[in-house]
Amino acid sequence: MSIMNYNGGVVIAMKGKDCVAIATDTRLGVRSLTLTTDFPKVFQMGPTLFLGLPGLATDTMTVYQRLRFRLNMYELRENKRVRPQVFTSMVSNLLYERRFGPYFVEPVVAGLDKDGTPYIASMDLIGSYQEPEDICVAGTCSEQAYGMAEALWEKDMDADKLFEAISQSLMNACDRDAISGQGAIVHIVEKNKITTKTLKMRMD
Amino acid sequence: MEGLIGIAFKDFAILAADRMSAFSIITIKSDENKLYKLSDSLMMAVCGEPGDTKQFAEFIEKNIQLYKMRNGFELTPRSAATFIQRNMADYLRSRSPYTCNILLAGHDRETGAELYFIDYLATLTKLPFGIHGYGSFFGTSVLDRYYRYDMSEEEGTKLVLKCIAEVQKRLVVNLPVFQVAIVKKGEIKTLPDVKMTPIEVN
Amino acid sequence: MQRSLNNSETLSGIIQKPQFSPYTDNGGTVIAVGGKGFVIIGCDSRLSSGYTINTRFQPKLFKLTPQTVLGSAGCWCDVLTFVRLIEARLKMYSYEHNKTMSTPATAQLVSIMLYYKRFFPYYVSNLVAGLDEEGNGVVYSYDPVGHCEQSTYCATGSSSAFIQPLLDNYVGKKNIANAEKGKLLTQEEALRVVNDAFVSATERNMYCGDSIILNIITEKGIEERVIPLRKD
Repeated sequence: MSIMNYNGGVVIAMKGKDCVAIATDTRLGVRSLTLTTDFPKVFQMGPTLFLGLPGLATDTMTVYQRLRFRLNMYELRENKRVRPQVFTSMVSNLLYERRFGPYFVEPVVAGLDKDGTPYIASMDLIGSYQEPEDICVAGTCSEQAYGMAEALWEKDMDADKLFEAISQSLMNACDRDAISGQGAIVHIVEKNKITTKTLKMRMD
Repeated sequence: MEGLIGIAFKDFAILAADRMSAFSIITIKSDENKLYKLSDSLMMAVCGEPGDTKQFAEFIEKNIQLYKMRNGFELTPRSAATFIQRNMADYLRSRSPYTCNILLAGHDRETGAELYFIDYLATLTKLPFGIHGYGSFFGTSVLDRYYRYDMSEEEGTKLVLKCIAEVQKRLVVNLPVFQVAIVKKGEIKTLPDVKMTPIEVN
Repeated sequence: MQRSLNNSETLSGIIQKPQFSPYTDNGGTVIAVGGKGFVIIGCDSRLSSGYTINTRFQPKLFKLTPQTVLGSAGCWCDVLTFVRLIEARLKMYSYEHNKTMSTPATAQLVSIMLYYKRFFPYYVSNLVAGLDEEGNGVVYSYDPVGHCEQSTYCATGSSSAFIQPLLDNYVGKKNIANAEKGKLLTQEEALRVVNDAFVSATERNMYCGDSIILNIITEKGIEERVIPLRKD
């Protein structure tokens, strides 16, 4: 059993037309034992920027805290908001600093650029990242989520369609994984609006 | 092999810890203290590697008391939990990590009673109820079934006893004595130990 | 089958011990979706081992009777052996009883034959698709040692994790509010779902691709179709 499957959890991000969505499950467990159903792995890092950190829960917290600190320092020093692309390399650098003793998280970044261009990125636990045109998936049921998202994703979806696609991807993927699910939260980021929805799903 | 139980209600929380200290297969001690009072309304239960638990618990205890002396006010349960988590996470990636599991119960002036669960990997989460050790496999089921947020102190104490009874009935490991404490606003009340009746030998 | 040399260190220095592994994974995915009066079973045609593609066209579907098809993926030598044995058993049955075996009976036979090798199992993922006594589509899925489950849709093989949740959603109508639960798909709908599932899995899984081979089983017989997939 890999350390990446110790606590369980999944994060999906999708690009739409002038919008992005990022979704997370809310389970925290120790192997097969569920500790709580209130542990989202997605954090808001700016007005239109979100970060998902599925993996080992202790590192989810540590990496979030370290990034929050670096981000605050950046914003104070530069006196401007961070761009999603810059934030991605910030995450990547943080992870690569621990190249030979890594944080066990697979981050997913989702946000809108200043001009409203959708942006998503995902990386492995040592910070090797990719910026795909469609979907990003990470976590214990990533295979299931890839299968769902690949089938449901279409180019240029509006916010409502994007919400439907990402929610169905997450829920059906989680239902085929014993250590993900038990509730889900979806964030849809548009130019001047962020919608956060809690999904009602299977709790077994 | 040890057991810690914690439950948070509306305005009080209950902590219970077994009193066993084991070395290999031998019970060395049956009156070990695993509950640490951090302030008037903050208490911590610790189990894990014998040396580590005491060392780390006392380190946390003293630092939280020092914070109060320096600043003239106490850390909230949330801040105390974050402080513990940060320290454990830093030690985790050092050459000498502390192997201890912690339950932190406290009363916050604004949000009421709270319970925080921290494991040896420094995973921190806020819970209505949490159990450390093998007892969690039985105890959480009992709590899932019977727990209510608005229970009275009497009902809450009974609920903890129910958990202890289940652990003592179903877990192969012998945990005969549990200490129990109630954490309230500005007060920590220690209850008499819960004991399994031993066999009498004239 | 592989013969590899493993290095292991001992006190006297490094010695080499030859190790033989009787199993290999040749990939392959099988999907089946059943409905009223029909069942569709499909497989991809790629046969691979590790990073190499052995062939781009190896059908993994086997017609057992005029109304029952077996889809088999995993260790290809085990697939061949297993299919040869089951075909022999079916022939023996037909000579003895002067009729072909029904789908549920074939499904049971597969289970028994897999369990017969309980302690040196065939490394295969099986699906049996066919028509039951009423002429409706049924699907039976198996684990390598013969545990059997009847259903109306299933995916097995190397891409099963990618496809099964998709089938749950599309065919099983899971997580859809106000859906008519238990309503079966029409043949056209089922064909589209199977096609979409393979296309999606091929995008993300190395061991799935090249082409889909479909068997559409109805009262009239078994229709075979081949649909191209990505070849990279």
